[in-house]
Amino acid sequence: MSSVLVEARGLGKSYPLVFRARDRLRALWRLLVGHRDADSIAVLRDVSLRVERGQSLGLIGENGAGKSTLLKLLTGVLTPSAGSVKVDGRVGALLELGAGFHPDYSGRDNIALSAALYGLSAEETRAKLPEIVAFADIGRYIDEPVKHYSSGMTVRLGFAIVAALKPDLLITDEVLAVGDEAFQKKCVRWMEEYLSGGGTLILVSHSMYHVQKLCRQAIWLRAGQVAASGDVFAVTQAYLAYQESKSAPSTPASAQNLEFHMLDLAINGSTTDVPVQVETGDAVHVRARVRSREGRPPVMLVGIARMDGTPIYGVSTEMDGVFPVRENTDVFALDIEFDRLPLLPGAYVIKVHPLDSEGVRLFDTIERGLTVRGASREFGMVRLAHNWGKSDEGAMDRKVTGQ
Amino acid sequence: MPVLRLALHFIRRDLRNRYLGSFSGGLWALLQPLAQLAVYSFVFVYVFKAKVPGSDAPGYVPFLALALWPWNAFAEGLSRATTAIQDNAALIQKVAMPREVLIFAAVAASFLVQGIGFLAIIVALFAFGVPIDPFGIPLVALAYVQLFALALGIAFVFAAVQVFVRDLSAALPQLLMIWMFASPVFYARESLPEAYRSWMALNPFTHYPEFIRGALLHTPAPSLAGDAIALASSLAVLAIGWVVFRRLDPHFENFL
Repeated sequence: MSSVLVEARGLGKSYPLVFRARDRLRALWRLLVGHRDADSIAVLRDVSLRVERGQSLGLIGENGAGKSTLLKLLTGVLTPSAGSVKVDGRVGALLELGAGFHPDYSGRDNIALSAALYGLSAEETRAKLPEIVAFADIGRYIDEPVKHYSSGMTVRLGFAIVAALKPDLLITDEVLAVGDEAFQKKCVRWMEEYLSGGGTLILVSHSMYHVQKLCRQAIWLRAGQVAASGDVFAVTQAYLAYQESKSAPSTPASAQNLEFHMLDLAINGSTTDVPVQVETGDAVHVRARVRSREGRPPVMLVGIARMDGTPIYGVSTEMDGVFPVRENTDVFALDIEFDRLPLLPGAYVIKVHPLDSEGVRLFDTIERGLTVRGASREFGMVRLAHNWGKSDEGAMDRKVTGQ
Repeated sequence: MPVLRLALHFIRRDLRNRYLGSFSGGLWALLQPLAQLAVYSFVFVYVFKAKVPGSDAPGYVPFLALALWPWNAFAEGLSRATTAIQDNAALIQKVAMPREVLIFAAVAASFLVQGIGFLAIIVALFAFGVPIDPFGIPLVALAYVQLFALALGIAFVFAAVQVFVRDLSAALPQLLMIWMFASPVFYARESLPEAYRSWMALNPFTHYPEFIRGALLHTPAPSLAGDAIALASSLAVLAIGWVVFRRLDPHFENFL
C-alpha cells in the first residue's frame, strides 16, 4: 500500500516588503480590492515534493535556506504564495522549542489546547492525559505554568503530546537534542516504533548522521530552491561536498597561523565528513597529514572517544617512540592501523591532534565519526579478552527441571 | 465539529482568563455593570434630573438597564475581538488553526458573560416589581442572538484590519464611546430633536435597545418592517465581515 501522503507542487513563498505604516495601509487596500502585492521578497521558489505513506524524508540545507518556511507551508501554518500543498492525513509537528504552548498556562492546560487544536474531543483528551503525563515524566511541573519549565521539560511535554496523538505525518527537527540522554533514548525508541508501524516522518537536521540514520530520501534546499533531491546518501554527500568547497578557501587563512595545522584525515581511505562504518573486529586504518609552519616535526596524538566525549584510548607517536613521516619540507604524515578494533557497536569519534616537537602543547584537532555496527549483546564499549573457566553443559535444562 | 470544539475550548479559556487571580471571580461580570448602572442612574436621575420620554412609568433604572447590558456585550465583544489575532500571534504563527475561531470565541465569551448578567438583572427587576412582561423574554433572547451576529460581523472586519493597521485598537475606545452616546442607551429616540431622529436608523445598534424595551416594558417598539431590516442588515454585516476576514486571513502571517 503506497499512497501519497504529502504532495507539493511548485511551492513558493514570498513576504511583502513593508517598512512603514503607510505601506501596511496600502497593502491592506490592495488585498481588499484583489491585487497581489507587488513588492515582495521570495524565500522559497518552485519546490515540489512527494512523500508516500511510510516514507521518511530528510530536509537539509544551510541556515536561511527555507527549511522552516517549507515545513510551515506543509503544516499549514503559512499560506503559499504560489503552488499548492496537499496533505492527506493528520500532521503532528514538533518544531521550535515550546511552539504552540502558552507560557502562562500549566502543562495540563497546554495539553488540552494542543489536543483541541489537533481536533480531539474533551473525552478523548481526558483518556490520553495520563499517557501524556507519564511519557513527559516531569513530576509536579505538569501543574506549573510552562514559563517555569526548563527547555528540556518543554521538549518532554511537546514530544509526549505528539507521541500520544499518533499523527499520520510527524514533522520534527533537532529540538529533541535538548532532552537528557534517558529521554532521548525514549524518543528514539518511540520514533523507531512509529516508523516501523508505518508512520511517516519529515526530519530537518544539520546532523547528516541523524538524517542518514532515520531517512531514506532527502531534499537539499539552497537559497529557497531545491538543489538536490533523491536518495539520502547521494543528497547528503552532495551537500557535504558543497559545504567543504565553500569553507575550503577560508580555512587555511585562519589556521595557517597555527604552528601545527591538521590538513586532512582519512579513515579506511574515506576523507568525507560522513561517519565511517565498521563492524566490531574490523581493521581501522587512520591516516592524517599535518602542516608544520617552521618545518619542525610534530608529535602526533591519536584518540578514540565516545560520542559524548568520554575518552576510550589515546596514544601518541612520542609514547611509542615513532615519528611522523616527512612528506615534503613542511608536511608530515601519520599512519596507524588498529587491527581487529575491539569496540562494541555504537557511535564513536576518532581524533587526531598535532603537538609541538616537545610533546607539550596541543595545537589543532581533526575528528571523524566512527560507527561500529554488529549484533553483539555484550555490555559496555570495548570487548575485553576473556576466558571462561569450566562450564557445565546443559545447566539450563537442569535448572528448569529442578523447579 | 472539531472547529466547534476548538471554539468551545477558546471560550472556556477566555472566561477563565478574565477572572484568573481575582477574588470574586465571575462575580465581577455582574458587579461591574451594576456599578455602571448605579453611577449612570444617579447622575441622570438626581444630578441632571433627566426627563426621559417613554420611561416615565417604569422609571429610569429599568429603562437604562435593559440597554446597558446588551451594549456592554456588544462593545466588550468588539474590543476583545479586535486584538484577538494580534494577541494570539505566537500561536497562529506556529500552529495551523482556523483563525476565525479566535474571533468567534472572543465575541461569544463577552456575550455569554454579559448575557448571564442581563438575565439576572431582568429577573431582579421583575422581583422588585417593575412591570416586565415575562413573555417578552424569548423575543429578547432572539434579539440578543441577532445582536451577536452583528457584533461578530463587525469583529471579523476589525480583527482583520487591526493586523494591518495597528491604530484601530487605539482608536476603538473613543469610537465605542461615541457610538454609545449615538445610540438610544441613555435616552429614547423621542428625546432627540425631530430633525435628528431619522438619522438614528443609520446606527445598526439603535434597533436593539428599542426592540428589547418594547418587548419587556411595552414602550414604543420598532415596526415589523424595522425588525426585518435589522435582521437583514445584521446578516449582511456578518456575511461581509466573513468575506473580508477570509480574504485577508492568508496574509496575516506577513504582517503580524
